[in-house]
Amino acid sequence: MIIESSDQVSRLSWLKRFPIPRNFKVTPESRIERGRTWPAPADAKRVKAFEIYRYDPDSGGNPRLDKFHVDVDDCGPMVLDALFWIKNKVDSTLTFRRSCREGVCGSCAMNMDGTNWLACTRFISDLGTNATIYPLANMRIIKDLVPDLTHVFAQYAAIEPWLYSKTPEPEKERLQSPEERSQLDGYYECILCFCCTSGCPSHWWNGNRFLGPAVLLQAWRWLTDSRDEAKGERLDALEDPFRLYRCHTILNCTRTCPKGLNPGKAIAEIKKAIVEREK
Amino acid sequence: MTRESFRSPLARALGLGAAKSGVQHWWAERLTAVALVPLCLWFAASIIAHAGSDYAVFIAWIRTPLATSCMILLLIALFHHSALGLQVVIEDYVHSGVKFVAVIAVRLCCYGLAVVGIIAIVRIALGG
Amino acid sequence: MINNGTTDGNSTPTRPRPLSPNIQIYRPQLTSVLSIANRVTGLILSLGAVGLVVWLSAAAAGPQTYRVVQDVIESWAGQFALFGCTFAFFLHLCGGIRHLVWDTVHGFELRSIYISGWTVVAASIVLSAAAWTISLFVAGWHP
Repeated sequence: MIIESSDQVSRLSWLKRFPIPRNFKVTPESRIERGRTWPAPADAKRVKAFEIYRYDPDSGGNPRLDKFHVDVDDCGPMVLDALFWIKNKVDSTLTFRRSCREGVCGSCAMNMDGTNWLACTRFISDLGTNATIYPLANMRIIKDLVPDLTHVFAQYAAIEPWLYSKTPEPEKERLQSPEERSQLDGYYECILCFCCTSGCPSHWWNGNRFLGPAVLLQAWRWLTDSRDEAKGERLDALEDPFRLYRCHTILNCTRTCPKGLNPGKAIAEIKKAIVEREK
Repeated sequence: MTRESFRSPLARALGLGAAKSGVQHWWAERLTAVALVPLCLWFAASIIAHAGSDYAVFIAWIRTPLATSCMILLLIALFHHSALGLQVVIEDYVHSGVKFVAVIAVRLCCYGLAVVGIIAIVRIALGG
Repeated sequence: MINNGTTDGNSTPTRPRPLSPNIQIYRPQLTSVLSIANRVTGLILSLGAVGLVVWLSAAAAGPQTYRVVQDVIESWAGQFALFGCTFAFFLHLCGGIRHLVWDTVHGFELRSIYISGWTVVAASIVLSAAAWTISLFVAGWHP
């Protein structure tokens, strides 16, 4: 009931999704159709069923939901291990991004049992009986579980995530006290997996103009960096009813961050800075 | 080519640039909210305390200077907060040109209703 | 729509890429549910504000007009609507105070978010029940 850290899975699984039709307000090309059910392995003692979103751009068809049965004893403990098991032993066309397999690169971000997380750090045992695996929510899908992240990365570029200096370069390093350096803690660790942005309802409805929690967290990372000299210009670029103020503190972002970061708090800090320069 | 636009992704993300305003709306929403906390609690407590009483008692209560001024302040804060909140809701969900019409209509209705309410209170307070 | 089809512009026209489901599959959590509840109760209270102005105008118009409006309020439908407005009011009030605390950049740790969230739900139920019980008592209603 009381969640203390974002890696806790909700035990109240009586409501896995809002009680609305499965294809509610979905455009024709995005309608999810019934897929095939792949047979369970013959000699497996413990089998887990996974419903996985599939989309093949070359087939001309719509996305579909395929059901796979995984021999849990034959594969590693994480959801990424299950995806590899399926790819190696059942359907080699299953496509997903992956790299580090230890929760530091952000490639395998996807929606498992209704919440966004990294597949390589989500235990299979944390998923419910009928586990569902969808790509990151509200993203254009290239294939299967691979989203098109072009727009969110463009929004990241739009906040100019680099050091802005006006005073001439120092001879050696730009100095920073330990207290000033600690201001970056909780913000520099972001791996840009976009779990938070993909889980933000405001970004679902206004993603073309609202920057989203990941980008705004990085915006605060640069605002709070004591070596940066463009705080005013950064705040000018953020102060906009859509870029920043579409955030209504829904806090799905903080709930879902796989690195335990707090985008909601970062955005509140930005809003506070904007008010402070007004008053 | 079926591509809608050849604008680069960065240009699309930058859009028309930042409006460089928006804090006034945010601040006004919070200011009216802070004002509404005591005003609404006072109103709720008054209604509960006068539950079941008749017309004459109700009119006598509104005629007291405290009740008259608090009710007027309540209506001003309530309808301003409501106008700001409804504008945000419309901006969130409506994306066509209807948005501008809807925001104007909602704002005008809120301020109109506030005036109607204030006039009603003044009429009660000054009436014989 | 942004980045629907291919991004190279050299191949033959393709169908737009599908959008992955969002609200259709995303798990309702205390965070999102309380937030939408705050919005829905705000919308309900906006309608309630209209009712408030109608009620005040009826009182200003005289005892007969006031009686008509009071009869509507005292009907079963009116009382049901009034109870709904009371609960919406307390939920929006407690949720609003939670938002004001967040605006001072306090209470953003997940533990605080969840504790304050459940407190808002509990407080709204308790305050609504208390308001109605006391009102019925004051109005002289006996069980």
